[in-house]
Amino acid sequence: MDRKIIAFLCNWCSYAGADLAGVSRFQYPANLRIVRVPCSGRVDPLFIFTALKNADGVLVAGCHPGDCHYTSGNLVARRKFALTKSLLEFIGIEDGRVQFDWISAAEGNRFAETATKVVEDVEKLEEWDRWGGEK
Amino acid sequence: MSVLNDIKLKAKELLEKGDVDVVIGYAKGTLNGKCTPYFVRNANDVENLVWENGCDINLANYLLKISDKAAVIAKGCDTRSIVNLVKENQLDRERVVIIGASCPSTESCQKCNHPDPVIADVFLQGETKVNNDDFSDLESFSKLPSEERRNYIYKEVSKCIRCYACRNVCPACYCKECFVEENLPAWIGKTTNTSDNMIFHLTRAIHVAGRCVGCGECVRACPMGVDLSILNRKIMKDVKELFNVESGLDLDTKLPLNDYKEDDPQYFLIGGEKCE
Ligand code: SF4
Ligand code: SF4
Ligand code: SF4
Ligand code: FES
Repeated sequence: MDRKIIAFLCNWCSYAGADLAGVSRFQYPANLRIVRVPCSGRVDPLFIFTALKNADGVLVAGCHPGDCHYTSGNLVARRKFALTKSLLEFIGIEDGRVQFDWISAAEGNRFAETATKVVEDVEKLEEWDRWGGEK
Repeated sequence: MSVLNDIKLKAKELLEKGDVDVVIGYAKGTLNGKCTPYFVRNANDVENLVWENGCDINLANYLLKISDKAAVIAKGCDTRSIVNLVKENQLDRERVVIIGASCPSTESCQKCNHPDPVIADVFLQGETKVNNDDFSDLESFSKLPSEERRNYIYKEVSKCIRCYACRNVCPACYCKECFVEENLPAWIGKTTNTSDNMIFHLTRAIHVAGRCVGCGECVRACPMGVDLSILNRKIMKDVKELFNVESGLDLDTKLPLNDYKEDDPQYFLIGGEKCE
């Protein structure tokens, strides 16, 4: 089963964390397709919904609260993420399908762990119908 | 009757004095029990105004389509939308005279806890309804097995022909260029497949989060009978529980999605607590 996960990573922390994971040779599954965004605040939930048309899972990660390059991008974003996560759960989307985390530029190890966890979680889920697919 | 009389008198006065160029209210619709938005520019036409069950359309949106000085006959939801539009710098409060009156609609507006105007320049007190919307519909929905919930939403969105009437009538959807029409990049497919329809409706629901006032306009406008108000209501309940804000109740509270607190809940994170 080759499941595809789209990861939206903020440029300043989580993307650098992923980079560090690579440089440090921490292993994580190749199922992740990384999209670099300027800040987690740039992640319109639209990105998540659209990603799920073509992938089986989504990871969104940004700087830890207090560390956002733009001061409050992730603090505003987390309200959106809270609502998005709750809405997805409400309409019957599994908990593991869309996941969020804060990962700093120094946390290469944590990035690899999170990536591995998300891939494993999504692999355990039933096959995703990609929003009902074609009518 | 007396509220309607007061409305007519006030509208007439404003037009005759030249305080406003137009008064936006309702006239009898062509269908029984329905009222239609009505623009009064000539003081004699105030006689055509009505204020009765069936006056449910949210009039706030019309204020964005005209640049004249306008008065609007507004119930709870219209005023809440106006509050949001002023806060979002879409509407100049000075350009609008709000003739506030208690909502006269009884049928389509039962899930509304704010039938009275939240702001008004003149408030014509009528009979105030007391509704008690406790979001119990959401609770029963949440109890269904997840597959059933998902299929319900799929079934509802699959009726959609993507005419965008729901967006066009929504006072919170005023973007000059909506994501559905953007081409570079094309964020969403143009088909009416369930998948594209899901992306449209989930995104719109999130875009109006903290700004939707539950006026029901999107549902009334839909030619296909799509009713996804459960999504808006779920978000409304979450916004209230998580951020302690109800949309559009006053001009001072910041829009919840433009704001944050240091200790906002983070249950959505990996390993985080579950939301109620
Ligand atoms: S759906 Fe979103 S992008 Fe489109 S008009 Fe509404 S708020 Fe704007
Ligand atoms: S989403 Fe629907 S109920 Fe909410 S403000 Fe817009 S038209 Fe009204
Ligand atoms: S008004 Fe109805 S059919 Fe038209 S886009 Fe909205 S939900 Fe779809
Ligand atoms: S720059 Fe990383 S979350 Fe804002």
